Amino acid sequence: MAKWGMVFDLRRCIGCNACAVACKQENSLPNGVFFTKTLSEEVGEYPHATRTYIPTICNHCEDAPCERVCPTGATWTRADGIVMVDRDKCIGCGSCIVACPYDQRTRLEPEMLQQGLFGNGRLTPFEEQGLTRFTVGTVVKCTFCHERVDAGQEPACVATCPTEARIFGDLDDAQSRVRQLIQEHRARQPLADKNTNPRVFYID
Amino acid sequence: MMASNVPIAGDDFRVGFRMQKAWGVHMATAFFFGEAGAGLYFVSQFFDFVTGMTVGLLMVLFGKAGGHLLHLGQPLRGWRALTKVRSSWVSRGLLAIVVFAVAGALHLLDVRSPFLPGAVSELVSAVALLACFVIMVYQGFAMSHSSAITLWNTGLMPIASLIYALLNGVLLTLVLGFNTPFLAADGEAVRLLQAAAIALMLLGLVTVLSMLHGARYGSEAGRAAVGLLLRGRFARWFIPLVIGLGFVVSALMMALAPRQFAWMLAVSGAQLAGYYAFRVLMFKAGAYDPVTGSAPRFRR
Ligand code: SF4
Ligand code: SF4
Repeated sequence: MAKWGMVFDLRRCIGCNACAVACKQENSLPNGVFFTKTLSEEVGEYPHATRTYIPTICNHCEDAPCERVCPTGATWTRADGIVMVDRDKCIGCGSCIVACPYDQRTRLEPEMLQQGLFGNGRLTPFEEQGLTRFTVGTVVKCTFCHERVDAGQEPACVATCPTEARIFGDLDDAQSRVRQLIQEHRARQPLADKNTNPRVFYID
Repeated sequence: MMASNVPIAGDDFRVGFRMQKAWGVHMATAFFFGEAGAGLYFVSQFFDFVTGMTVGLLMVLFGKAGGHLLHLGQPLRGWRALTKVRSSWVSRGLLAIVVFAVAGALHLLDVRSPFLPGAVSELVSAVALLACFVIMVYQGFAMSHSSAITLWNTGLMPIASLIYALLNGVLLTLVLGFNTPFLAADGEAVRLLQAAAIALMLLGLVTVLSMLHGARYGSEAGRAAVGLLLRGRFARWFIPLVIGLGFVVSALMMALAPRQFAWMLAVSGAQLAGYYAFRVLMFKAGAYDPVTGSAPRFRR
């Protein structure tokens, strides 16, 4: 069984956030909800100032604190390492949100589903079909586009990234590109000191 | 740019600290009633003070449970939170509330008009006390187990819960029992409770300051959170309410207190206001570290 993971190549990311848009489209995400964001940061001082971009996403942590604290079992991990939320079990207590060091979870508030993407209270047909995927009061997060992955495709953000700064693959396969990149570049995990063992790696 | 200059990023697409918003005033209210009610029951049971036990039980049943129900996104499914007792402190807490509700109510009925056989009666009383104790501390464990938020991620958090719960219990017992035969006839008990209250206030003050000290050196987010509480946008609430009214003023008032009901009421009011502010502000100041950590970015 594969163990899915992702590598972010910070040398390639141009901060266009096409990934965030593709994710919103693929998952019909309501207003204000993002499963991935590419953050920007100014580093250094004039005349050597520069701007860097840090893509962020649920890291599908191997030792996921969100799963450990969930009192209902709504958060669970598939055999391939993808951390999921069962919306029929979630009670919206928010324990997982305060336990996730990466701030990658969102509780769906009623207004998020009512306002619409244009903020005028009217929903487009696209949004109406999308809302059937969500339950108010429950928590949502990235699932590595598990339906696409199950169908042999890459997550939408990876497929869309114009610079191939996002690389997806099997962490258990020594020949996979993600494994090779991790080894070649001594890739780093985000907030490694939190002991969550993320399945997302950064190279720079 | 040093990590300490990293801004509070809110929901922006920028690297920075992010403030937790999942637990807010409803949760703080539930925590408040949980620790105040359980503390009152706990202290009252030692004195067989039935009014205190009854009020404590009701505070947990309605105040705490009500706050949680208002907080939950799907309150009708709340029972599901009982299913992960082995790993989740929220589950353990809910189990303790259920056990406390049943055993506490049985014990109260038994105290008023004894109907349980001797051994069973003692068992029920012990189970109620044990469940009550769990309610007094588990909220601290639920917070301290979040390694995501440095301000909360300390072993002192459950200790603070215990101290606050006992302190609330002692003060509410003094207020509710003041003009009842239970305290009126027992000057020694009043003096004992007053001394315990002052000791707990000093202990609470040291614990809260130690928590802040630990968070300040725990991570950049911890330092940012402490900055918000002591110098930033929450300082105008934290310092006068949590530190001033909740500990210093109430300890001085208790030390100088004449034995009057109004005085006890004022001390309790001051301390409870400080405690409620503590609960709200601990949630509001909870900050996540930037995803890049405190190292100067990912750059080598
Ligand atoms: S990044 Fe957060 S939500 Fe995702 S698995 Fe890790 S702890 Fe859970
Ligand atoms: S909000 Fe839902 S998924 Fe998160 S801890 Fe609570 S029950 Fe589990």
